[in-house]
Amino acid sequence: MLAERVFKAVGKPVPRNEDQRLITGKGRFSDDFSLPGQVFAAMVRSPHPHARIISIDKTPALQMPGVLGVYTGEDCVKDGLKPIPHSPVPSTKYDMKLRGPGNTEVFAGSHMPLPTDRARHVGEALAMVVAETLEQAQSGAEQVAIEYEVLPWVADSEEASKPGAPRLWDELPDNILVDTFFGDAEATEKVFASAPHTVTMKSHVVRVTGVPLEPRAALAHFDPATQRYTIYAGSGGAVRQKQELAAVFGIEPKNVRVLSFDVGGNFGTRNRSFVEFALAMWASHKLGRPVKFRAERSEAFLTDYQGRDLVTEVSLAIDKDGRFLAMRASNLSNVGSRCVSLSPLSKGSGLITGSYNIPAATLHARAVYTNTMSTQAYRSSGRPEVTFAIERLIDKAARQLGFDRFELRRRNLVRPEQMPYTNAVGSIYDSGEYEKNMDRALALGDWTGFPARRAEAKSRGKLLGFGFANYVESSIGSPKERADLIVRKDGIEVVIGTQPAGQGHETSFAQVTADLLGVPFEQVKITLGDTDIVSAGGGTHSGRSMRHASAVIALGSVDLIDKGKALMAHLENVPLEKVEFEDGFFRVTTSNRALSWFELAPLAEQDGLPVEFKDGLRVRRDNEMHTPVYPNGACLCEIEVDPETGAVDIKRYTSVDDVGRCINPLIVHGQTHGAIAQGVGQALWEECAIDPASGQPLMGSFMDYGMPRFDNMPSFKSEIVEVLSPTNPFGIKAGGEGGTTGALAVITSAIDDALADYGHPQIEMPVTPLKIWNAIQDYKKHHKAA
Amino acid sequence: MVMYPTRYHRPNSLEEALKLRADHEEASYLSGGHTLIPALKQRLARPSDLIDLAALPGLRGVKLENNVLSIGATTTHAEVAASPIVRKAIPALAGMVGTIGDRHVRNRGTMGGSVANNDPAADYPAAVLGLGATVITDRRRIAADDFFVALYETALEPGEIIIRIDFPVPSQAGYAKFRSAASRYAVAAVFVAKFGASARAAVTGAGSSGVFRLHDLEQALAEDFSPAAVAQCKVDPGDMLEDLVGTSEYRANLVLVMARRALEHLGEACSYK
Amino acid sequence: MQHVTLTVNGTKVSCDVPDETLLVTFLREHLNLTGTHVGCDTTQCGCCVVHLNGKSVKSCTVLAAQAQDGEVTTIEGLAEKDGTLHPMQEAFHRLHALQCGYCTPGMIMAAVNLVDTYPEPLTEEIVREQMEGNLCRCTGYHNIVKAILAVAAAKHGVTDKAPAPAGAE
Repeated sequence: MLAERVFKAVGKPVPRNEDQRLITGKGRFSDDFSLPGQVFAAMVRSPHPHARIISIDKTPALQMPGVLGVYTGEDCVKDGLKPIPHSPVPSTKYDMKLRGPGNTEVFAGSHMPLPTDRARHVGEALAMVVAETLEQAQSGAEQVAIEYEVLPWVADSEEASKPGAPRLWDELPDNILVDTFFGDAEATEKVFASAPHTVTMKSHVVRVTGVPLEPRAALAHFDPATQRYTIYAGSGGAVRQKQELAAVFGIEPKNVRVLSFDVGGNFGTRNRSFVEFALAMWASHKLGRPVKFRAERSEAFLTDYQGRDLVTEVSLAIDKDGRFLAMRASNLSNVGSRCVSLSPLSKGSGLITGSYNIPAATLHARAVYTNTMSTQAYRSSGRPEVTFAIERLIDKAARQLGFDRFELRRRNLVRPEQMPYTNAVGSIYDSGEYEKNMDRALALGDWTGFPARRAEAKSRGKLLGFGFANYVESSIGSPKERADLIVRKDGIEVVIGTQPAGQGHETSFAQVTADLLGVPFEQVKITLGDTDIVSAGGGTHSGRSMRHASAVIALGSVDLIDKGKALMAHLENVPLEKVEFEDGFFRVTTSNRALSWFELAPLAEQDGLPVEFKDGLRVRRDNEMHTPVYPNGACLCEIEVDPETGAVDIKRYTSVDDVGRCINPLIVHGQTHGAIAQGVGQALWEECAIDPASGQPLMGSFMDYGMPRFDNMPSFKSEIVEVLSPTNPFGIKAGGEGGTTGALAVITSAIDDALADYGHPQIEMPVTPLKIWNAIQDYKKHHKAA
Repeated sequence: MVMYPTRYHRPNSLEEALKLRADHEEASYLSGGHTLIPALKQRLARPSDLIDLAALPGLRGVKLENNVLSIGATTTHAEVAASPIVRKAIPALAGMVGTIGDRHVRNRGTMGGSVANNDPAADYPAAVLGLGATVITDRRRIAADDFFVALYETALEPGEIIIRIDFPVPSQAGYAKFRSAASRYAVAAVFVAKFGASARAAVTGAGSSGVFRLHDLEQALAEDFSPAAVAQCKVDPGDMLEDLVGTSEYRANLVLVMARRALEHLGEACSYK
Repeated sequence: MQHVTLTVNGTKVSCDVPDETLLVTFLREHLNLTGTHVGCDTTQCGCCVVHLNGKSVKSCTVLAAQAQDGEVTTIEGLAEKDGTLHPMQEAFHRLHALQCGYCTPGMIMAAVNLVDTYPEPLTEEIVREQMEGNLCRCTGYHNIVKAILAVAAAKHGVTDKAPAPAGAE
């Protein structure tokens, strides 16, 4: 662990380096780039959830003005294109090991850029039209005639898991691709058999989509002279995109250059390659012209990688004193038509027991294919679902068994002296003070003043509810990261392979580097997003970036300081041990000679230095870090329900989040606010619903997909707690996802509490005014007699 | 996002506009464009020509004469909402217009465009019908009761242009709306107005055939123009729209709740979500 | 084709463009002013907000031809010529009212127009109501509200307190 005394920039609320360009309109988002001679691609998308492609007639489209080419799955095969290698099974040492039925390898359906056999979801790209203008491309796409044999379809995961359901893949006997048990089933069942109390809950945490405000876009260009592809395409990690896109063409990754500068939101949706990126590259090769694709918002709603969609069934065995004895869970994940990521199921599996000491647990984890868009890790992948399950189950248990809901939690929380704590499915929580978080949140949110506020609301005919949730989540992510640290005469450059989409890496990484090297924050520049410069790196997901970046920068800094010392010793002709480094200066202890980084750097450029200095004052450092960390916290909110309309109004929202070391509180609070809003959105409005009669997605625009807005969100009270993690040099956990993790539970908890007079109905998310009103009417109907 | 190719015209006189329309059968009039352009961008319509009415003289502005408030067709929502004349004469109308869309939309969207489109969830039709206004076109006067025909359908003939709408000034009026969380359009909204011994009440957002009058409520209000009147009124769910945002029963309930709230807050517009 | 003439950020510009060209397309593709963004196709997200003749408008729902002879200000034209930021830009930076930055140009243009034209003193409630036509997916709006209120307070002579730590209120 690093000594606090060196911190001058770390921990300070430094306004961000990236803002200047973004507030003056000089950001560099994918669609901001244009190349001479560029042409435009438009997709022909399936109107059916499931259909065999009988034939595709390109002729009418090819006769349209401006159309340069029409391409299909058959053309992909002819040109030797390969499926996108999504590698969906999380693979760090600590990830929960998901397996196929009968302990087989997980079957991940082939994801060709365009399919040849069948359309497996509404919106799947089946052909591409490229034309001189976007209008011509879209008009051309309208003329592509596809003959289909419509097939039976299934969109619901429980339906899809039943025998006889329409099958998506000939390679599987049914739709089930994951079927794994975790924990000790026998021990758990034994406890349940003799437990005084058992409480059970089932819920469907519905499908949502990330809605980054920048629709995905790409501009691709093939250079026949160098045989290289260049693609401007924002994503969650340029290096991963480079590797996956190269694999589609079966070429060396070095022959693909991905440029991903400013990215207009990600939240997980952009962490896997989109077919249109490969298709734009392919078309630019075929046509000898740069090709641009940009998704319309309606296309984004249909075909951005989506999130959540988990059916969870949980039971808790409790003794007469309210101690949790055992937990049983069954989680069914809907991966959509192709499996691009099992991270949500895996992440959630490790955390089913939440913040509580539950001695025995078992989990049946399954995943199924359905005729829907693929799901991906979406902000706080897997954790909001399981947090929702355990926290709501505890509320229910408290109510049914007559315990105070806070006291019941308190009695079972994992205690600081139990850390590191291994939960019943094998996850090792690194650190945290869970009960303190809870106390702090209740104090900040003024729990004691709530009864008076509730009475005041009642006097206005409104129902005020108080929601509470604890949470623990995990941050793992891709284990490898690389940093290049380069000293120049006027500053230090750090090249790193994470990919921010608003998280402020250019600022927080500079703060870390500045303190490690003893230089002013202003003299550090972070370089990201061009794979010709950034050679390796894991991208940004799972709250990994600050932790991985600071660890590799810390290691690289040690190397760089060693190199500086050696250079100083060589130049001054003194033994190495006579050179000291402090506060950004190299000092010769036997003389008064001292040089700063920036004085030393030019001297490293001179001729005649020993070979170890031939690259100048720079180092490259790789690091591999598998151990997860467990950010944790508590949140509460107050929601006022209008019983006449079912309308909800969030009056207060308070969160306490243990993020480990906080590098930049300005940024971390901002992350918390945004993360809360995303969780609140899912709890109250967001849903990618599918029409059960037709299989058609019902939400295709902001006209029908409700979002957090200025006027339906409150201001937040958020507090950062820093219990340092022992697993990495700075003690960092993560700060980007905690806000979302508890939000689903806390919002539904508040509404449940508000509806105490109406029998605490369990209302599935999103908890819309209509559903609340219906629940109230149901209660009234059934209690009329009484 | 990309419209089909079209031709844009900006006539400077009514005659010129009508001639252009007569010459181009597949043309559409364009006012603020905040209903039409989104539809065109989604390629839901393909007019050969767009005839912009913005430059026509005499279609913009607000006037109060003989207790009748006249609003020109191309007056923007922002202008109506901010107009001291409207705010004084029919504050509930100014308030209602101030809840349409968002402030950027209100800076462009116009009354004529909204009324001519007759979106079943738009606000203006409720005020036009609830105030018993008269729609004045290039060729005739149409009573509000005859104007709104069906969903997205009005009494306007092909090529007919709304010039202005005359709103009789009521002694009291109110408007209450429940908005969709996503579209922000009305799930159910009610405009109530009192004229001497009679009353009018019109509902938008909820009806399966568009904006409609609540005759039951009007009769009750004629006796007692107060929130209590709502208690005697019933709404048949069979006449309501049904979609993901609201079942017909829910909408029927909202109509009554909004009617009561409009009456509880006369002289303003309330918006709930 | 339409011969469209506008004054954009103080400079007169003319272009021949297809009749159906949207103002946002005109700005982005014909003038290369890519600071104005497009985030939806239903006139809701507000990423494309610019000022047209002093009013905030969604430039994705205005034809360039409709704006003929108009004065347009985009995010690129908001700061002083010498680079001095507009107080709203400055407040967005200082109070961390942006993350990915995609909604930011429209958000700032909307906020500037709100503070400049709203007839009454701004409160949190008014800001939240009046800004509903701009979506942000990153910030949860908290710091944007703070930034707008800070600018409004400064404009009305209220001393702008040192910024409280984000989230502390």
